[in-house]
Amino acid sequence: MRKSGLPEPTGPYPPTEAMLAEPVPDDVQRAQEDRLRKVWETPKGWRYWSAVNNSEVGKWYCLTALAFMLLAGVMALVIRLQLIVPENDLISADRFNQLFTMHGSAMMFLFAVPMFEAISILLLPGMLGARDMPFPRLSAFGYWCFLIGGVFVIGSIFFDVAPRAGWFMYPPLATKDPGPGSDIWLLGLSFIEVASIAAAVELIVGTLKCRPPGMRVNIMPLYAWYVLVVGGMILFAFPPLIAGDFLFELERSFNWPFFDPTRGGDPMLWQHLFWIFGHPEVYIIFLPSIAIAAMVIPTVARRPIFGYSWIVLSAVGTGFLSFGLWVHHMFTTGLPSISLGFFSAASEAVVIPTGIQIFAFLATLMVGRVKMTLPMLWISGALAIFTMGGLTGVMLALAPFDFQAHDTYFIVAHLHYTLFGGMVFPVIAGVYYFFPFIQKKKLSDRLGKWAFWLTFTGFNLTFLPMHLTGLWGMPRRVYTYPTGLGWDGLNMISTVGAFIVAAGFGVFVWDLIRPKKDQPQIERNPWDAGTLEWSHDIPEEAWGVRSIPHVTTRYPLWDQPDMAARMDAGRYYLPDAEEGKRETLITSVIDATPVQVQRVTGPAWITLAAAGFTGGAFIFPTFHMYPPAIVCGAFAVVCILYWLWTSTARPPEADAKDVGLGLKLPTYAAGPSSVGWWAMWITMLGDATAFASLVFGFFFYWTAQPDFPPEGALHAVPGLVALAAMGFAAGWGLTVCARHLNRGGAVMAARLCLGLSSLAVAGGATALIGSVTPLNPEAHVYPATLWALAIWIAVHVGAGVIMLLYCLAGSIFGKLTPRYDADIWNVTLYWHFVTISALVVCAILGLAPGAL
Amino acid sequence: MTDDQPERREDEAEFSEEQSSLLKITIAPTLWAGHFVICYALVAVTCAKGWDFPTVRAGLLAISCLVVCGIGFVGWRAWRQWNVEETGDFINRRGRAEDRHHFLGHAAFLLSVISVIGVGFVVLPLFFIGGCQ
Repeated sequence: MRKSGLPEPTGPYPPTEAMLAEPVPDDVQRAQEDRLRKVWETPKGWRYWSAVNNSEVGKWYCLTALAFMLLAGVMALVIRLQLIVPENDLISADRFNQLFTMHGSAMMFLFAVPMFEAISILLLPGMLGARDMPFPRLSAFGYWCFLIGGVFVIGSIFFDVAPRAGWFMYPPLATKDPGPGSDIWLLGLSFIEVASIAAAVELIVGTLKCRPPGMRVNIMPLYAWYVLVVGGMILFAFPPLIAGDFLFELERSFNWPFFDPTRGGDPMLWQHLFWIFGHPEVYIIFLPSIAIAAMVIPTVARRPIFGYSWIVLSAVGTGFLSFGLWVHHMFTTGLPSISLGFFSAASEAVVIPTGIQIFAFLATLMVGRVKMTLPMLWISGALAIFTMGGLTGVMLALAPFDFQAHDTYFIVAHLHYTLFGGMVFPVIAGVYYFFPFIQKKKLSDRLGKWAFWLTFTGFNLTFLPMHLTGLWGMPRRVYTYPTGLGWDGLNMISTVGAFIVAAGFGVFVWDLIRPKKDQPQIERNPWDAGTLEWSHDIPEEAWGVRSIPHVTTRYPLWDQPDMAARMDAGRYYLPDAEEGKRETLITSVIDATPVQVQRVTGPAWITLAAAGFTGGAFIFPTFHMYPPAIVCGAFAVVCILYWLWTSTARPPEADAKDVGLGLKLPTYAAGPSSVGWWAMWITMLGDATAFASLVFGFFFYWTAQPDFPPEGALHAVPGLVALAAMGFAAGWGLTVCARHLNRGGAVMAARLCLGLSSLAVAGGATALIGSVTPLNPEAHVYPATLWALAIWIAVHVGAGVIMLLYCLAGSIFGKLTPRYDADIWNVTLYWHFVTISALVVCAILGLAPGAL
Repeated sequence: MTDDQPERREDEAEFSEEQSSLLKITIAPTLWAGHFVICYALVAVTCAKGWDFPTVRAGLLAISCLVVCGIGFVGWRAWRQWNVEETGDFINRRGRAEDRHHFLGHAAFLLSVISVIGVGFVVLPLFFIGGCQ
């Protein structure tokens, strides 16, 4: 591979003690601070909402997720009120269905997952000593998408059109449900999932590439390890649901029978796709919350965490094993018992890494000198409750017990124990622990204890009896029940408990939002913690860190005593912003050696506009209004293109810059050393997973249905499929050629290749769609599946053509040059993935009729 | 770049195999996952299409043996990389290249152990459940 001619890092690294000890003159320090402050200033007045900095976006994200959670909590209270006495008629059955569907959906999609991403966006840069996440506008875009989608989905309950088929939307109940409820769920939540995946990409790249110099993988904070694992899990868990949503919406809108058994479809496919998402989802929620515990526990125990490698093992191990559990949600669907056996076994196996984490925490507490702080109180509550939920989990993993308890209140009790213990309590502990970092104030100790004891007692009062209610046979999701079955008293207790939990949350939320103007500002590092985020500036500064330190230990504030003072003095890296640009340091993945200075984007309205139009593209189809949806989609693409064109991968004014301590780093990177390439790689991994889920669907029908393909069915036109395959292969080859030619300086030839390549792939996509045009997708699931695969590829090719033309325009207008060619690297990477998927689809369309 | 740690250049050569990748620690769990998918998919198709169950089961048990050997090999390599016998350092908490090298070995070793246990669990139904039922 020919080098681009960009400079390599030069200068001394790592810094010596003598270099770090050298003082910086006061006036230089002040001038540097002023420049940094100006560059990182948060916009004022109404412009505040154009902010993209992680500290602002993270805060909005957390508060929005909290608001959705409270709304979902109120729904739970209404549900409990309805069930307080037998034969109650407080609300109608239909309203009840909407409430429990929205309660589950909102808690999962609008609270639990976004909360993880919100907290991570807020905290991670601090823990990693980074100025910001690598793609601030992407976080802002994700946030606005989340807000719009969330308000849309949760708002539906006020118009009596909320989804009502359960948060898992099982067909045929959900597919046949009249009214827009199911569409609101599908499109609204798909929209939010896109935002979740965007945030996951951001967090993974941030953790891999934005660590401070010297923070090798064996000393990075455990939270960062969890973020990596959970980010990876999101990439493999969410896409199957997106694929499922795609099929589901095709059935709802166009009557393509993917889940309709009368025309060869199978509702079980939805259950598989949903739970391939849904079970890992539980761990996606659990792991980052437990990561908060991994940050709190060493601080209160006043010693490094016990068994760092063991915790990494359990995070990674749980991440993998949790994918082998999805069928334990489907034990009663009539699968062969040996299949159940595999999933029962894997469900039991996941207990091991989960248990290891808990034991590592307990060991740390036992060998440390524990100071019982408020965060620790919540963590203790979490450990107690989660252990209890884990125990019933082991019971439910045994298929015969599950047959008995399936769809009863026992399940409701189990899942709330795991989610409260595994998520809600640790997150609240995290709020108490990190509040001084976020707001530079402390929350009240007294109120915190009240909140804890109310929530803890209320929680157990609500859910402990439900184990019994369930074992005595009360099914989930019934809106009322007759008296005399022994459920009356237990339900009454549960309802009273629910209101005590609500009181606990009331106290907590009041503590959070009450005015704190008179309260004194806290001292720096109030918990005396050892990790980097506690080197934050008091009073607050928006620059993240004053200078990016060289880290050599797991608890730098404990083990590198001069560090904070040196950071403040601007003794470390990037202490200045001479060019008036926002910048952060990019380091290598494993050893965190500095490799590049990354320009990061500043405040912008375009992200908001892009999110608004994207929202329109998802929301209008809910009401079958397709033309405005298409217009919105087009505008969203224009907004995103504008934002990329104006602020990403622009040729810099100088190839390299001095980042302090004599180190000179390049200001531009292309290919695998750039963050953009990593983001593309990671996104495509998720995309490939969604594609694989569709292909899985094809083979699922083949195993599950005797008439797939049906006798005498029409197949895709073989000649056109072959033509499509040739078009894609040629387009891919031309794209790769364009990248090589451009780097070699043959700019005109590269442009020609880009143009020809877009023609070739567009021709390929046309041929592919042409090959399935004779088939009637409404008639049977076989033609519908072929159509779905062809559409999937055509849409990707469409996006890919826009990218090719973007590169062509970049080359013509000087954004993309032989030296600064990041865009074409990323686009080529995209085409590697799309070409593979396209050829797989051609193989299925062309070869399957003969092979099956 | 100059360097004040004299051993660093040697480290760079010695540890170059993991310079750019974290993926090595995921090999053992990936083997577990692959094994799981093969077991599940093959049995599902066998039951749906009425293939000969005992043959499939024998094949799966053979595959399981191979997978356990594979994970064992990964684990053994990781154990060597962790090198705890020589260094006596279980924790590898320092920020040096060799600590990171040993740490990745340690993590990979632990993950191999958990993967073997995982494969063991998944194989149990093949022993105890005789057919599709």
